[in-house]
Amino acid sequence: MAPARVNADKDAEDELEMKVEKYSRGKGADLKALRDKKLKGQLAVKEKLYGQSAKAAAKAEQWLMPTEEGFLEPDEDLEKTYRVQQELILKEVDLLSSRKPFDMILPVLGPYTIEYTSNGRYMLVGGRKGHLAMMDMLNMDLIKEFQVRETVRDVAFLHNEQLYAVAQKKYPYIYNRHGTEIHCLKEHGKALKLQFLTKQFLLTSINSFGQLHYQDVSTGEMIANYRTGLGRTDVMRVNPYNAVIGLGHAGGKVTMWKPTSVKPLVTMLCHHGPVTAVAFDRSGHLMVTAGVDRKIKIWDLRKYEVVNSYPVRAQSLDFSQKGLLACSNGSLVEIYRDFGGHDYRLYMKHRMMKGYQVGKVLFRPYEDILGIGHSMGLSSILVPGSGEPNFDTFIENPMETTKQKREKEVHALLDKLPPDTIMLNPSLIATVRAPKKKEKKTKKEIEEEVEEAVDAAKNMERKKKTKGRSKPSKRAKKKEEDVFRAKRPFLEQSKEADGRPDKKQRIGEEGELPKALQRFAKKPQS
Amino acid sequence: MPKKPAMRRGKPALGPEKKRRHGPRLPTAMRRELDAMGPGGSDDEELSDAGAQDVYEYEEGVPEEEAGKNGRYDAVAKYEYEFDSDASEADEDVPSEEGEDMEEDDDGEDEEKQIRILQETTGMPREAFDGKKRKQPLELPLQHGDGPVTIHDLLDNIQGKPGYSKVRKRLQQQEKKTMIVAAPLPKVDREKLERGVANQELKRELTKWERNVKGNREAPTLFFENDANLGVNTVAAIASKFKPRSEFEKRMAEITRSSEIMEAHKNDGAKILELNKIDVEDVRERQNRLAKMRSLLFRHEMKAKRVKKIKSRTYHRMLKKDKLKVASAEFEADPEAIKDYAMKQEFKRAEERMTLKHKNTSKWAKRILKRGLSVQDEGTRAAITAQLQQNALLTRKMNSMKDDSSSEESSDDDEDENDSEAKILNRGKEKILKVLEEDKEIPNSGVFSLPFMERAMKKQEEAAYEEARQALEDYDDSLRKLEDDNTEQNEDSIKVTGKRTFGPAKNTHEDVNKRQKLHETESSDSEYDSDPAQHLGNNEPTTKQDDIQLGTALLDDEQNDLYKSFDDIMKNPGPKTTFEVGMLAGDSWKKVNSSKGNGNSNVNGVTNKSKLQAPPIVDPNPKQQGSNPDSDSEEEMVEGFLTMSDTKENYELPSQAELIRQAFAGDDVEAEFEKDKMEVLNEENPEPEKPALVPGWGQWTDIQQKKGLPSWMIKEHAIAKRNREEALKRRKDSKLKHVIISEHVDKKVEKYLVRNLPFPYTSKDVYEQSIRMPIGPDFNPAISVSALNRPAIVKKPGVIIKPIQYEEVDPHMKPDEPKRVIQRVTPHPNAKKASAKQSKGATSHKRK
Repeated sequence: MAPARVNADKDAEDELEMKVEKYSRGKGADLKALRDKKLKGQLAVKEKLYGQSAKAAAKAEQWLMPTEEGFLEPDEDLEKTYRVQQELILKEVDLLSSRKPFDMILPVLGPYTIEYTSNGRYMLVGGRKGHLAMMDMLNMDLIKEFQVRETVRDVAFLHNEQLYAVAQKKYPYIYNRHGTEIHCLKEHGKALKLQFLTKQFLLTSINSFGQLHYQDVSTGEMIANYRTGLGRTDVMRVNPYNAVIGLGHAGGKVTMWKPTSVKPLVTMLCHHGPVTAVAFDRSGHLMVTAGVDRKIKIWDLRKYEVVNSYPVRAQSLDFSQKGLLACSNGSLVEIYRDFGGHDYRLYMKHRMMKGYQVGKVLFRPYEDILGIGHSMGLSSILVPGSGEPNFDTFIENPMETTKQKREKEVHALLDKLPPDTIMLNPSLIATVRAPKKKEKKTKKEIEEEVEEAVDAAKNMERKKKTKGRSKPSKRAKKKEEDVFRAKRPFLEQSKEADGRPDKKQRIGEEGELPKALQRFAKKPQS
Repeated sequence: MPKKPAMRRGKPALGPEKKRRHGPRLPTAMRRELDAMGPGGSDDEELSDAGAQDVYEYEEGVPEEEAGKNGRYDAVAKYEYEFDSDASEADEDVPSEEGEDMEEDDDGEDEEKQIRILQETTGMPREAFDGKKRKQPLELPLQHGDGPVTIHDLLDNIQGKPGYSKVRKRLQQQEKKTMIVAAPLPKVDREKLERGVANQELKRELTKWERNVKGNREAPTLFFENDANLGVNTVAAIASKFKPRSEFEKRMAEITRSSEIMEAHKNDGAKILELNKIDVEDVRERQNRLAKMRSLLFRHEMKAKRVKKIKSRTYHRMLKKDKLKVASAEFEADPEAIKDYAMKQEFKRAEERMTLKHKNTSKWAKRILKRGLSVQDEGTRAAITAQLQQNALLTRKMNSMKDDSSSEESSDDDEDENDSEAKILNRGKEKILKVLEEDKEIPNSGVFSLPFMERAMKKQEEAAYEEARQALEDYDDSLRKLEDDNTEQNEDSIKVTGKRTFGPAKNTHEDVNKRQKLHETESSDSEYDSDPAQHLGNNEPTTKQDDIQLGTALLDDEQNDLYKSFDDIMKNPGPKTTFEVGMLAGDSWKKVNSSKGNGNSNVNGVTNKSKLQAPPIVDPNPKQQGSNPDSDSEEEMVEGFLTMSDTKENYELPSQAELIRQAFAGDDVEAEFEKDKMEVLNEENPEPEKPALVPGWGQWTDIQQKKGLPSWMIKEHAIAKRNREEALKRRKDSKLKHVIISEHVDKKVEKYLVRNLPFPYTSKDVYEQSIRMPIGPDFNPAISVSALNRPAIVKKPGVIIKPIQYEEVDPHMKPDEPKRVIQRVTPHPNAKKASAKQSKGATSHKRK
């Protein structure tokens, strides 16, 4: 009994320590190497506070987030988890969970695409032939369903379920919860894919000409409009870590974009054929791509190297909150799990009816559910261990009330990030800028500038003065002075460019010092 | 004690020259005047000097031990010394001692006689001896024999008197020790010592604060709490706490708190009241007296007012004279008054030096000077000169009071003699002039034959007055000059300061200008960067577009739409640089298409999908694709394992390469990517131009042609090439064949970065590690958020920050351990502890 308790205590301690390490976000600076005593003291105090904070956070996690995700565990070595069918799982799970998986057969309005809100409560369904529906997944309630009577290519929720964007035949439109058309975004053109950057309030679209559009939905301003120059594509995903947009192209390339850069930040040659799907891990370090060349590749985005590559075909890919990877292939949906070291192995498998073509797989946030949009409707299956079991109501609250929703909206707007903050490594913000080479002006440029200044000085109008002060000679003299004055800064600049000021000048400076200060002047070394 | 008379007697014996050397130094001007008066005057002065000597004696550096200051010096040694000196002194002492001896013998009459004798022998005034007698209460014993008087002789005299034994004992002790009194330290050393001691003391006083101050500096947060006095203090409350401490207080307390007195006090209440009764008569009398006094005061006040209003010059002169007379009478009456007067005079002089009241600083003087002295009438001019003279008098450096008094006297005399001050002045000037000329004559007597000297001699008498006037004018001029100088100096100083302030200000302005210019140039640079690209884009794509339109004119409507929108976009300047690339890509796609037309039909659907907008094709497409993978995966399922063995694949595909090559025949994605990469690299680090000569240059002769390119050109090219290579190596994607990472610096991002390392940091790593932790409420538990964001000083508005107070600080205490409260809430000593505890508890709770 006693040793067991000791062991348990030790385990708990270790766990706590690990969590503390996680929350202290790396190690502090080596204070012993510091020379500045004051800074040392300040940093020591700061580090102490950080340590306390991390400890408090770890403890809070221990008490407030006790739930852990549960996976399918094989009893024996030979038993394979991917052999477990949905029916088997349904028998075992609780009543509430057993109600969640469903199959909706909607054969008329064509292949369906789906989208969840970030808190996982609402689902938006878009049928290719114009069917739009929004559902409350908590109580399986249909909120609004209507037809737009034209092609619907993609759907995307904006910051909450109150507004959503639909990429239709010619333009994307924004509808509200009740299905009222709010905006028609003509500038985007014929959008094929939509993505919403929640923190920046940017709606991103890629249209049929390969143009990438960023539009701020809070102000309506068009932030950016870039030609990818890599042809038409409908493969687009946001990296949730840094809000960088990843595009998969027909040439096997994956490009990453931000709204303030004309050129892609990164261009990677991922596949030998067209890229069919891209997905990003929640941590932002992993990217998975699928190509027509029958490969799924897992990339480490910190090194831009392939971590793993599997000979599987995939039409759509998605990472769950807990790191499960879903990929669809024809009517087959496969789910892979990381068994350590990015070694993804098949975890679950689900086969749709023969002939159903799965168009999109999407994990539902905060639930162990995978939504599937296919050619004959939509369905959802149970995937144990996919969703985050503990939700922070300050970040996302699946059970949020109207009041909370409103509050959150205001807060989100107040905390909106400017589009400039999107960069590959957002932790770079507030760090020291790398020194860059000074761009020297060429001689020609300098000459031009001087000329300009001189011209301006010459053309300056002068007052007419009385009593012979406007004599031609005086005017000429004045003009000369003005020109000289205009030139002077450039001359000084050129002097500065040489590096140090003249020796003569320095001597002069010393002489100019007032008597009282002369004793502080540097004595010439003799 | 016989020292003083000895000194006095010694004085007159010295010669007059000697005395002058010791006496106060006269200012040269005075001396000149005196000289002008002639040798006859010097006697008078001598006499007056002698007279004045009584009052202000000039003493030459009497050693301190001799003067007996502070009682620091040994009495015995002094006595011996004194007597020795007396004995060694000349015969003069003898009669005096004799006189003293006689004094002892007879009482009253002899005294008179003796004084007279003394007067005759020494020639000193009578008072001197009188005073001496007064100041000499101790009577010297009769001296027997010729030897010097010793202490034992003195002791014998007082034998048998009380305290004798004590004195003798001390004497014996001293004799035993036979200590030698060392000469006192020189003043400089003494002061140095004193300073050292004071310095140490001060240091200790100051360094005791160090810990406190250091603690405050190191503390991350200082708490200033309101020093609100919550406990109401009344006089009674304070008095009740009073405890007698000193002896006197204790005794007082004993008396006042003794029961008897308390009782008596209680009983005496009625009596005290009775004592308070006042008679009606008394009150009336008092009132009358007060009324009388008040009326007298009022009258006096009125009189003073009236007198003050009187502007008559004669009246004031008379008044002044009266006052002086009174003062002089007072001087004669009593020596104290003289001292007072001297003090007053000294004070006045000091004041004058401080205020410079008479140096034309008054409004009146300024006005007159502004108008010009030459314009004024004689009276005002004289007044001004008089004022200046007074100033000169008052500010002149003086060594002793003697000189001061004499000058006063002379000025008094002048006033007496003359009616108008102007005349006095003029006369004075004349005198001065005369003196000057005489001075000149005396040294120049050898060159008497010089013509200008003769002329001067002739004119001397007639031109004296005029010269005086000239001198006066000169004086005025000098005055004016002085003022001018002042103003000039002011201007100078202004100029200097102006330079000082102007220089840097100008610099900063220029700096700003420069910066602005830089900014402008930068922005212009960026424009330059983008401009040519735009031009290129404008030129090339249009032609290409034409081609394409020609080629694809027969395509369906949607594609026409496409090109319309292309046209639209052409108007947007932004992405034109990419536009070109896009068109190029389109071209390549065309190529792909054509190649496909030749060979594979397998990929046709895919390419169609991506090239042409054909919605109906989408449905069959996935099916077509789906069927393949389905079969594939099934096959793998049969195997039962989906562990992919070939985890890390290279781009040289080992086994399936053939298949892929077949599938995408002619579509060399890798080569294309490499080309793209090279393009990007060239764009960001352009390849240096190949060295080439301008045709005709450097090729005039055979030799030149044989030499080929000049070496500097080749060198330059090599350097440029090397630089480019290095730059490419430095790129992040230099080792990644399949990745292009843009090195383009985003200026918009730069504003989120720190330009320079913030001040106290010296290393980038330390700085970045120090900001690694978010401190906002989203990332930290509520407990630690406040601690993380606490300001350096916690203070409520309205709290007065008091000066630092001393308190004992433990030197080993860490700076943040106890909450560093600078001002506590409660001033009461009782409540203080409680509050301290509370605050400690609070901190411990807050910080855990």
